[in-house]
This record gives sequence, C-alpha cells and structure tokens, in this order.
Amino acid sequence: MKFILLTFLTVLLVIVFNPFVPYWVVMIGIMILSVLVGNKGAAAFFAGGIGMGLAWLGQTVYISTLSGSQLPQKMGELMGFGSDLALIAITVVLGFLLGAFSALTGSLLRKHLERKPDNIYGR
Amino acid sequence: MKYAGFLVSLVLTIALAIAVSRPFGAIPPLAPLLDPSHGFWQNSYSEDELAEDELELNNLNAEVRVVYDENLIPHIFADNQTDLYRAQGYITAKHRLWQMEFQTMAAAGRISEIVGPMALDLDRMTRRKGLAFGAEKGVEFIRENDPDSYQNLEAYADGVNQYIDQLSDAKLPVEYKILNYRPEHWTAFKSILLLKYMTDMLVGDRDLEYSNLRKILGDVMLDKLYPEFPTGVDPIIEAGHKWGFKPLDVTRPDSINYPDDQLVIEPLPQPEEGTGSNNWAVAGSKTKSGNPILANDPHLGLNLPSLWYSMQLTSPEHSVKGATLPGALGVISGFNENIAWGVTNATRDTRDWYKITFQDNSRKAYRYGDKWEQTSFRVEEIKVKGEELFLDTVVYTHYGPVVYDKTFKGTRQDVNFALKWNVHEGSNEQKTFLMLNTAKNHDDYNEALNNFTAPAQNFVFASKAGDIAMRIQGKFPLKWKGQGKFFMDGADPRMEWQGYIPNEQNASTLNPSRGFVSSANQHPTDSTYPYYVFDNSYEFYRNRRLNKRLSEMSEITVENMQELQFDDYYLHAAEALPIMLDLLGNEYGDDADAKKYVSLLKEWDFYADPNQKAPTVFYIWWRKTYGQIWKELSENVAPIVLPSYYQTVLFMKNEPDGAVFDLKNTAEMENAARHVKEGFKELLADMKSWEEKEGDFAWANYKKTSIQHLVPQFKAFSVENVYTGGGSGMLNATSGRHGASWRMVVDLGPEVKAFGIYPGGQSGNPGSKYYSNFINKWANGEYLNFDLRSLDQEEGVLFQTILN
Repeated sequence: MKFILLTFLTVLLVIVFNPFVPYWVVMIGIMILSVLVGNKGAAAFFAGGIGMGLAWLGQTVYISTLSGSQLPQKMGELMGFGSDLALIAITVVLGFLLGAFSALTGSLLRKHLERKPDNIYGR
Repeated sequence: MKYAGFLVSLVLTIALAIAVSRPFGAIPPLAPLLDPSHGFWQNSYSEDELAEDELELNNLNAEVRVVYDENLIPHIFADNQTDLYRAQGYITAKHRLWQMEFQTMAAAGRISEIVGPMALDLDRMTRRKGLAFGAEKGVEFIRENDPDSYQNLEAYADGVNQYIDQLSDAKLPVEYKILNYRPEHWTAFKSILLLKYMTDMLVGDRDLEYSNLRKILGDVMLDKLYPEFPTGVDPIIEAGHKWGFKPLDVTRPDSINYPDDQLVIEPLPQPEEGTGSNNWAVAGSKTKSGNPILANDPHLGLNLPSLWYSMQLTSPEHSVKGATLPGALGVISGFNENIAWGVTNATRDTRDWYKITFQDNSRKAYRYGDKWEQTSFRVEEIKVKGEELFLDTVVYTHYGPVVYDKTFKGTRQDVNFALKWNVHEGSNEQKTFLMLNTAKNHDDYNEALNNFTAPAQNFVFASKAGDIAMRIQGKFPLKWKGQGKFFMDGADPRMEWQGYIPNEQNASTLNPSRGFVSSANQHPTDSTYPYYVFDNSYEFYRNRRLNKRLSEMSEITVENMQELQFDDYYLHAAEALPIMLDLLGNEYGDDADAKKYVSLLKEWDFYADPNQKAPTVFYIWWRKTYGQIWKELSENVAPIVLPSYYQTVLFMKNEPDGAVFDLKNTAEMENAARHVKEGFKELLADMKSWEEKEGDFAWANYKKTSIQHLVPQFKAFSVENVYTGGGSGMLNATSGRHGASWRMVVDLGPEVKAFGIYPGGQSGNPGSKYYSNFINKWANGEYLNFDLRSLDQEEGVLFQTILN
C-alpha cells in the first residue's frame, strides 16, 4: 500500500510542481515525501523512481501527442540516440534515477529520525 | 558510522543531481535539457498552440495590436513610430531570438564564447577586420547626426530586452538549451553591428590574388585573361545612358611602385560564389494591367532559421510589408501603399590593402611619406569557453587595422598589411531603410538612398505613380584607373583614395525608354561612366538572360515575373556546350556510356530543371575542362583567382588554338580541343563512380540543395536534398548551398498586389510546424499572398495579440 502511495504522491508532485521549479527542487520534494510516507529502502527507491519516471513518461508522451511535433525525433538524431523513442526512454530513465535516489535518501533519513527515541531507551 | 547508509545515499543523490546539470564535453547538461517541464520538450509546441491574447510590453504610448496571418506573418499596428519599433523588437525576439543573437555574436567575433577554442581563429579574423570597430563608429555617428533613428534603435532594443526578461526556462529557444548558454541584453550597437555583418557577407576584394597574378603573368597577360570590360557585357544602367554631370578630377600618379612580393598568405574569407541577386522593374507600358511591376530575389547562403523574417509594420502614417532582417529595424526589401523597392549586391572593390612599414618592432610608428606616423593599439578581449581570456592586439593606422601581421596568418615575419574599408567610417544605413519604409515617391527614395554607405546595393524602385528606377548606391572611393586592384604601398601618400564619388553622380536611371530597369550583379555601367568601377566578381550570365527576356516580353503579368524568377535556363551551358561538343568531335570511340552522355547533351534544351540529367553531365564536364585549361595557373602556391567562365568560353570560341591554352611545362602545344577531350575522360570516370554509388544523376539529386541550420553540426535541424532546379549563373540561382533567399513580386496598381516566399518559415523554433513550412512551396516556385492587411480584415487570421 505504502509503495503505491509513494508512487502516486511522487507522480502528483512532479506533475503539479515540476512546471514551476527546477528538477533538483522536485528531488528535494520527493525526499521529503519519502520521509513522510516511510517506505523501506528498496521499496522507496523503486516507488520514487517509478513515480518520477512515470510522470516524465506521461508528460513526454502528452507533449509529443498534443503538439505532433517532429522535435523529439530531431533531438533524438541530433543527440545521437537515433529516434524519439530512444529519447523518451532516456528521459524516463533519467527521471527514474533522480526520483529513485531522492526517495532512497529520504527513506534512510527517516530511519535515523525514527531511531532517536530508541537511543533514549538505551536499547 | 550508523549514518553511513544515509550519507552515502545523500552524497550519491547530490552527485547525480550535479552530474546531470553539467555538460560533458559536447554533451549538454542532461537534466535541464530532458526535463519535460523545462527542457527541449517544451519547444515542441507551435506558436498557434501557445497563442496569447494579451502580452505585457512596457513603455508604449498606446496599445499595439499584432495580427498573425495563417503563415504566422505578424502584422503590427501601432499608433506611432517608437511604439512600432518597440513592438517590432519584441515580436521579432519572440520568434527569432536565438538567431538574431547568434548572428551578432558572429559579427562581434564572439563565437568562441559559445563553442570554445575551435572558433578562435574565426573570431580573431572578424575582429581584426574591424567590424565591431566600424559598428562603434556607426553608433556614434547616428547618435550625433540622427537622434530620431537612434531613439528608434533604442526602442527596438528595449522591445527585445523586455522579451528576454519575460522569457521562462521552458520557452527559451532550444539552441540555448543545447549549447547551454542564455541570451544577453540587446543594444542599438548590435543592430548596427548586424548591418556591418551584412557588409562583410557581401563585400570582397581580390587585391591579394591580383597582386600575385600581376607578378606571375605580367600586366599584358593579366589584361588579356582578366579584361575589365569583356566583349558582350550588358551593364545595369542601360548602355548608352547619358551621364548628366561633370565628373570630379582624379589624378593618377606618374609612377607607381607596387609592393613587389609574391605573397603566400591566407586570403580573407570572400563572399561565397553564388552570393548575388536579381531585381528588376517593368514600366506600365510593358505590363498587361498597365501598372509597374517590381521583382527582387536576393541570393544568399540558404540557412535555417532563415535570414529573413516577414512582417507588416503599420502606423497612422504608413503601412509597409516585406522581408525584415531579425535585429534590424523596418523592412529591408518590400513595399508600402505607394512604392516598392528591392536590393541586389553592387559588388565593387571598396576594400583596399596597404603595405605598412613599421619603424621598429614596437610598431608604434610607420612610414608615411618622409615622416613617421603614430599607430594606435586596440586590444581585443576574446572570451573562450572553457579556457582563459585571449588577448589580441591589433595595430591601427590611419588607413585602418593591420589585419595580417607577425601574430596572425603572416607566414613571413615582415608582412604587415592594413585594410582600408568604408565600413570603418561612421554611416547610417538604418536610416535608408526607415526612410524607404515611409517613402511615397521617387524623390523620397533618392533622399533615403543618400544615407547609404555599405554594402553598396543596386536599389530598384517602382511607384504607383508609374515611375521605375535603378540606382547603384554606396560610398564609392574616387580611384584612378587600376587603383586598389593590387596591394599598395602605404608609405606612399600618392596611393591614398582621392575622395568619394558624390551621391548624385552615382550611376542611376529613371524611366529608361526600354521600359524596364534590372540588375543581377553585373558591371554597373558601360565604359563611358567617368569613374573607375573595377571588381573581380561581376556576373555575366543572369543579367543577359534577364535583359533578353525583359526586352522580348510585353503584356507582362505578375505570373510572368514569378516564372522569370524561377527561370532555369542555363545560359552558360547554352554558350559553352555547342563549342565543347564541336571540339570533342567523334573521338570518344565506341564507349557505350560516352555515347549515352553525348546524346543526352545533344538533345538537351538547356533548362536545368530538377529532373533533367544533362545539366549534371554538362556541369561536370565543364568543371573538368576548366580545370584542365587553367591547370598551370591553379598550381601556384600563392593564392590567385582564375579567369571567369565567360572569358574562358570566349577564348574557346575565338582562339581555340591560341597560346592561352598551352601548358608551358609540357613539350607539346595544347589547344582547347585537347583540354575538352581530357575533361571528357575525367567526366566518364566521375560519372561512372557517381552512377555506381548514387545511381540517379538527375540535376536535383546531383546538386543536393540543402538548407542548413546556422550551426552546421545540428544536421537534424537542417532540410537536405530539396527537390528544385536552377543553379549558379541562372536566374533561379539555387545551387547546393546558395539561392533565392527571398522572392518578391509587387504589382503597383491602385491596390498594391504582392507575392513573396522564402526557403524557411516564420518560426525560429525547429520544433514548430512553422519552422520550415515554406520550403516545399519555394522549391516549386509557388508564392504566398503578401497583400497589405488592414486591422479590421477578418479572413485568414491565425490569432491576434494585444501588446500593452
């Protein structure tokens, strides 16, 4: 459940805030989301990654379809990836990595925040 | 230790975030580029999808309305001139910002800032030629002499800057995203610099090459191979024109000592071959409607975004439409409710070189007569991406900058040459265009042209009142015969230019009896014009075809003029091929391919249409033959130019066994036939490999017209292999990389009817559907409707925007 929640919240965050802030602010946002939701390491990694990757996938497909522009194809050729599909894939992988590492960091941070009470009881 | 996992993850995440924000070699920062909300994806939208009803533009006196027609051509309606030019700046920047800035970066010698050390030599050359120096002088001149123009230049700059300040990351043109830099503010200086850059594109000189030729050939042979007025020249101002003025005296020194070294230095980049233009106007007496018709098609390098940007500019006093240059004010080639005008390049040698003799290594003084004159130093600071600032010291003499010296392209340590060029003098070309935009008649046109210095242009004119005119305008130095053809000795004061030809004595004609005026970069006048007008690059073919057609035609319609702009008749081939076939005889034996090519050529009608095969065969055969004929000359290590095609054909026709065809270093005596046959052998070899590799050798497939993005490496943003006919030397001068960069035909009836097209599109954004949408129409010889629009006209509106 938590996995789907973080994924969903990440998608929402990217779609709502990304247009107004640069990608690194979005990364901080995902980290905070991950702290709040509290997934375990690997789960957080994939939930954040899939969330941001999915959001970027959706946006690129939406823009390409709506505009009908040749630009993704041209950029794919210009950057040496060959096609628009390859470029979409690279955008998605990049989104995945940014989201995944942010969420992982958030998850590990929460572990420390949670541990504090443990230390008080000296266990 | 217990924080280790978190810290490692944090560091990794930050490292990743930083890594994707940085460029790696040629790879741009990935995240800002690929982020769908800010990166290149956002450049996928076309302008109509982003249409805004209202935009903020401060400092306006009244609201400005912008109506885009279905081709995304903006029609700007303003209440006064300053608002109009402020809006022009804003709207131009909105659609062409990257291009206008990139072109001025090139003009300022600042490309190294964007692309790094590979552009350093180019930037040094641009600066050492003194383009920015000339633009500084120009701005000073305008500020002092013409406060009105200066105010408009400032308004334009303000419009551009307001756009830049409003620009979000998402809307930033994609080239900035790829090359990873941001636009800086626009200034009046940059607009002037752009006009100087046009001069640089259009003006050349061959002083170096002619100096070498003189040394190699001697004066007699030089005049034979490179006559200044070859037989059969058809000048711009009709032959036999009466010059109604008393010319100024020019005194030729009785003895001239040219610097006598054969020079092995790298020549300045020259305007590329194929850079030229056509313009003409026919009087009402020759047209079906009885209205004058004017046509203009400037031929330049074919690039994307296009050099030209179409606009209508309307104020209560005037309404003008046509092609603008992004970065410059007003319309450059166009028409208003009363007149139409167009430009072609008036090549003439206005750039001269003087050998400088420095007193000593400090280069603080140079010999001039029996004195030593002081130099000044200008230090050019060139920023280089990823490297330290490069400082280039350029020595200035009273002639101009010392372009070649021990630090730059001088293989010999003692070589110092200063460049004298009227682009270094204060002038106000911008005013000419602003005045033409509002001109109402022939007098206004003449008044406007008086402000124009460089690059010299043939200004064609037609008015509703029925006048047609042509004037060759530029600030032309007064020269004695032969002056400036070769490098001169800067220490000899007698080598100075002796002043300038007065504006009213520049060659011009009004309503000549033949019923038309025309220019196509040929000789400006016949030999009766009382001033020396030498240039190496006068054209011999387009003008004769044009004048022949215009003389023959009557009852002319707009469609006829459009067809003439698209005329593929290959006059050079029509004159050379029969001679070549004759000289070849039947000596190609039983070779099947040879027979095939010869029969193709024999059946040819001399039109270089895209599907024709003969033009390819002729073109290769001619080039090979020409190469054979001038083989010895071109093997010189020192830079030279070869005799023109026209002159070469004349020799082949008139003296096929003459001494000009003999190669001195062979035992036998060569003649024209020998070279033609050698050329034919090479043709067979070339065609064989072409047919094996590419198959089809139809003309369009062979010449491969391509319209390249301004950054040639951005191949995906270029349009290649455009299927179209024509070529260098034809009226439709579309070769591989050059051609009609703008075509316009205007009928000056009671209601002006206009048509235009250029190979590109109104949008500068490669992601927009308006980026290259004119190209197919242009390639087919079609036109867009360019009639003036009124504000209340409703049909054909794409969208409207109010600026306030």
